[in-house]
Amino acid sequence: MNFLAPAFLIGAAAVSAAVVVLHFIVTREPKTAPLPTARFAPDLPVRAQSRAIHLQDLLLLLLRVLLILAVGAALAQPVLRPPRRDVARIVLVDRSRAVADPAEVVDSARSLLGDGDALVLFDESASVVREAIEDSLASLGSAREVGRLSSALIAGLRAASSMRDAADSLEMVVVSPLVSEELDAATDSVRALWPGALRLIPVTARRDSSIEHATSIVGAADDPLRFALHSGSNVLAHDTVRVVRGSLSVADSVWVRGGQGRVLVYWPAGGIEGVDTPTLPPAWAPRSAADTVGAVIADDAVVVAPFVRYAELREPADSSSANQDLTTRVVARWVDGRPAATEEVYDRSCFRTVTVPVPARGDLVLRPRFAEFAAKLLRPCGGATPLTASTEARLAALAGTDEDRLVPRSEIAPPSRVPQPLVPWLYGAALAFAAGAMVVRRRASAATVTPESGGDA
Amino acid sequence: MQQLTSGALLDAVRGVHWPARRVSLGGFQGAHRSRRIGSSPEFTAYRPYQQGDDPSKIDWKLFGRTERVAVRLAEDESNLPTTVLVDASASMAFPVDSMAKWELASAVALGLCAVAQAGMDPVGLAVVDAHGARALPPRTRQGTVSNILRLLLETTPAGSSPLAPALSALRSSRRIAIVSDFLGDADALLEQVRELVVGGREIYAVHIVAREEVDPTLATPVIVDPEDNALRRPLDTNLLGQYQAAFARWRESLAAQWRAAGAVYHSATSDEPAERVIRRVASPLAVGDTSA
Repeated sequence: MNFLAPAFLIGAAAVSAAVVVLHFIVTREPKTAPLPTARFAPDLPVRAQSRAIHLQDLLLLLLRVLLILAVGAALAQPVLRPPRRDVARIVLVDRSRAVADPAEVVDSARSLLGDGDALVLFDESASVVREAIEDSLASLGSAREVGRLSSALIAGLRAASSMRDAADSLEMVVVSPLVSEELDAATDSVRALWPGALRLIPVTARRDSSIEHATSIVGAADDPLRFALHSGSNVLAHDTVRVVRGSLSVADSVWVRGGQGRVLVYWPAGGIEGVDTPTLPPAWAPRSAADTVGAVIADDAVVVAPFVRYAELREPADSSSANQDLTTRVVARWVDGRPAATEEVYDRSCFRTVTVPVPARGDLVLRPRFAEFAAKLLRPCGGATPLTASTEARLAALAGTDEDRLVPRSEIAPPSRVPQPLVPWLYGAALAFAAGAMVVRRRASAATVTPESGGDA
Repeated sequence: MQQLTSGALLDAVRGVHWPARRVSLGGFQGAHRSRRIGSSPEFTAYRPYQQGDDPSKIDWKLFGRTERVAVRLAEDESNLPTTVLVDASASMAFPVDSMAKWELASAVALGLCAVAQAGMDPVGLAVVDAHGARALPPRTRQGTVSNILRLLLETTPAGSSPLAPALSALRSSRRIAIVSDFLGDADALLEQVRELVVGGREIYAVHIVAREEVDPTLATPVIVDPEDNALRRPLDTNLLGQYQAAFARWRESLAAQWRAAGAVYHSATSDEPAERVIRRVASPLAVGDTSA
């Protein structure tokens, strides 16, 4: 057993010695009671009994010494050192939306993890698992959150600090598809804090990280929106984004529910001067009187133009009666904050309604801002950016050289504050000693008095 | 204080008379015998005329019969201004939990005042506590006893102010009752009493003693004087006998000194009913006792 701050223990020992010395030197002040006629009592000096040492006194002294030593030992931070292994692993396991099959990740992690290793589960945030690792792996499922390798690396570094005394060398392993969205600007600087190489175990990424997004438009051949989207195609065989400019059909509904990540965008061609108000989904209602709005915003894309606002989102009559498997969110707003486009998310796909009229006249659809705005409305479900694989160079920089894959424990910074399991027990023992001392002191409250010359007391 | 506020004490002492112990020298009309050269029909004796006597008081009929020039002495009734001086020092707040000494002292003071007022005597009260002396001068009007009761209820025994200066300020009273444990300035007080007795005042001493002072409980090994924290003495079963003997000797000595000074001395213990103490003090037959 070692102590992180042995000075406290030495100090406690010194205080204990002083308490013992004082206990035998200092005479106790006896308890007094008022008596107006005290002057008639024999004029004898009052002093405490010091010749005989009672058992209760010794018990009280013992409890006090133990109390001081327990507090001193707790402050000294005793460390129980477990037997040191050759290698300890910190396995960073991806649980973000980039993972195609969580079972593959779990299998890879199981093959790496052993007793005493640390598991770091990460998506947007990371959590370190040191106990019941198998349970955590078993409960791993598909997620919608974006993965952040930076947060996982930070958690892994902390776990490494706490494990530096458990093994001679440490290894950090990353089990992840390592798509580009998981590597951010902070990844390289955080990665540089790990002195060794990272062992990368790639797993299969989700399908939309490898396929090209294909957008089709169901509408007139001279639809101005085609110019904005730079797409002249009608329905494609393998499209993932379908923009419907006319009326929705059963085929559209079947299509959107028939594939992973499909986006059906209902962007009716109406709403402009000379055209009737188009048919709207149940969540939307035509405005009693159309008005003009000066701008529309989707994410960070802003288009400033006089738009005719012909529809408005209905207020939910009863939120509890809403369809449980749908989640509606606003993806574009007018400049006054009112919704201009919404998205309803299904389990595997989503349906968007855009009530921004596309004028047939003018050059609005040719402006880059409008193209950017339109592209925002055709993004994958949930507003996420498309998954793309990281470049080989980026992954190589992330992994580092193979020679120094194992990191000696001496190169790992010790933790600034390590919770020691013995400390709470020592504080508990100190409290118990304090309570015991109070009980003993209360019982021994009646001090014995011996007159100096009384002799017979 | 329940005893004071309930009115039971005043009911118990109703009808008790507290006569003067000697013929009064004068004053306003009252219930006590007074020797005055006056027009009272209660003739007592003739005295030869002396220089300074009012010539109109010469009994000319006697002169005509006997040719002796004499003035007529008549016995009149006058009142006796009475003040009760109560010791409210810290030693009276004993025992700490019950304050039995202060309870008895207050009850005795109030009862004596009520008895004196019932005899048409002006009554007043002086209380000496930590803030010094507070006095209500002797009055006969209604409500005086209520004012005395209020002052007693407002008083909390504390401090160790001397009684002698307060006693010297009561020279206007012809009868003074001192209710105290006499553990303060006993010698100075006794000296003051001697002068007052020589001056014709009636002095009563009511010595309040707590039962716990006579038989201490010995709950703690050391006792301390509440008026002097530096006075700390050990007291246990072995020392109890010495303590009790010394205390008894002091009480006997105190009683003898006060009686020798011409005062009427009574001792009362805290477990004694207040009305019994009042009757004993007011009794014209008693000359004081040392009953504990």
